[in-house]
Amino acid sequence: MSCQRLRNWIEERYDVEGMKGLAKQKLVPVHQYEIWYYTGGIAMFLFILQFITGMVLSFYYIPYFEHANKSVIEIVTKLNMGWFFRSLHHWGAQLAITALFIHVFSTLLLKSYRKPRELLWISGFILLGISIFFGLSGYLLLWDERAFAAVRVATGGAGNLPVIGGFIKAFLRGGIDVTGETLTRFYAFHVSVLPLITLFLIGMHILLVQYHGMSVPMSLEKKPLKQIPFFPNLFYKDLIIWLLVLGVVVSLATLLPPEIGKKADPLAPAPENIKPEWYFLFLFQTLKLFPGDILGLNGETIAIILISCGILFFFLIPFFDRKSSRGEKSILFTWIGVLYTLYFIIMTVIGYLT
Amino acid sequence: MIRKILFACAFILINAATLWAQQETIEVFPSAPYDRHIIFQSLALFWVAIIGLIIIIRMKLKEIERIQKMGIDREEKNIPLLD
Repeated sequence: MSCQRLRNWIEERYDVEGMKGLAKQKLVPVHQYEIWYYTGGIAMFLFILQFITGMVLSFYYIPYFEHANKSVIEIVTKLNMGWFFRSLHHWGAQLAITALFIHVFSTLLLKSYRKPRELLWISGFILLGISIFFGLSGYLLLWDERAFAAVRVATGGAGNLPVIGGFIKAFLRGGIDVTGETLTRFYAFHVSVLPLITLFLIGMHILLVQYHGMSVPMSLEKKPLKQIPFFPNLFYKDLIIWLLVLGVVVSLATLLPPEIGKKADPLAPAPENIKPEWYFLFLFQTLKLFPGDILGLNGETIAIILISCGILFFFLIPFFDRKSSRGEKSILFTWIGVLYTLYFIIMTVIGYLT
Repeated sequence: MIRKILFACAFILINAATLWAQQETIEVFPSAPYDRHIIFQSLALFWVAIIGLIIIIRMKLKEIERIQKMGIDREEKNIPLLD
């Protein structure tokens, strides 16, 4: 079937012209903060890259504790370009989470979460949480001693939550301790449960962005802004940025391939100077601030409760910031946003350096 | 002479013992110089391709903006139709 005939075949069945018209109708405002519009697109591009590289790796990975570490070593050392795909998957994940953090904090500081975009904030926030869990579950799949210790600490920390902590810990571990059961469970999360939820949430997030249009910062809301069509103007700009991001990921994957540690031994002590992944460092550093015992109560439990409250407040910010919803200036929430952003950056840097 | 041989043997044994204790490192990047050369060459070519594509997209974008500025991309209303 020639190209023209195929086009005619599709046009006879679907309203292609109507869809083209719809794409042309979407306008994007031009202003000094428009650079933040691209962070969401970068995260989505990296998610696509993760799906592709993940699918390739899953052809060869064996999700059983006896063979998991060995299968990763074989992917890296024996398969043609195996090292590259594994490295690409690793760096893609790091950059995707970085892009998501930047996207969330820019949304927070520009107050793009305000009415009527509360659901956009919620879906984006859940996506960030899922991405972090993607990172944690993917990290265990290596089944090396560092990953093993990190998951033991992370699931143990979740177990400190009052009432539901024990259930969460047991649910994640699939038993009392981190074992082969945990690996199977994390594999299931990593390749089926989380991707399905992610696809649904990304779809919902994009649909909501189309429905509400691009958010304009409050300071510029009343000013007349020039608007450009999303297609082709912004789409081409997005393409340029995606190409640059692809170049960065490929360069990192080539120049800094991630190491593989020794196979995990549940009976061995945790390796020295163990640190969690960078996106957990702020939590790790916060836990360090608390003493082991506060007024006869477990310090770690108190720390976990306070951190959970902080995260819950962050999640519900669109509902607390009533002034922004009414279109009024809300300096308090600007400062809260700045505080959250600075706290995350400073604690991550301190955690990394110490 | 015997002392020298004993020292040499002890030296070899001590060094060999540390080899057993040495942590096994897994090669996560091809170690053959030829493979490395090809990989770095491909990376350089990849960047050249990316820069080339970016230049082409930029040119295309500028052309689109020029057409939009002239207003000839919009459909004219009330165009007389030929029967």
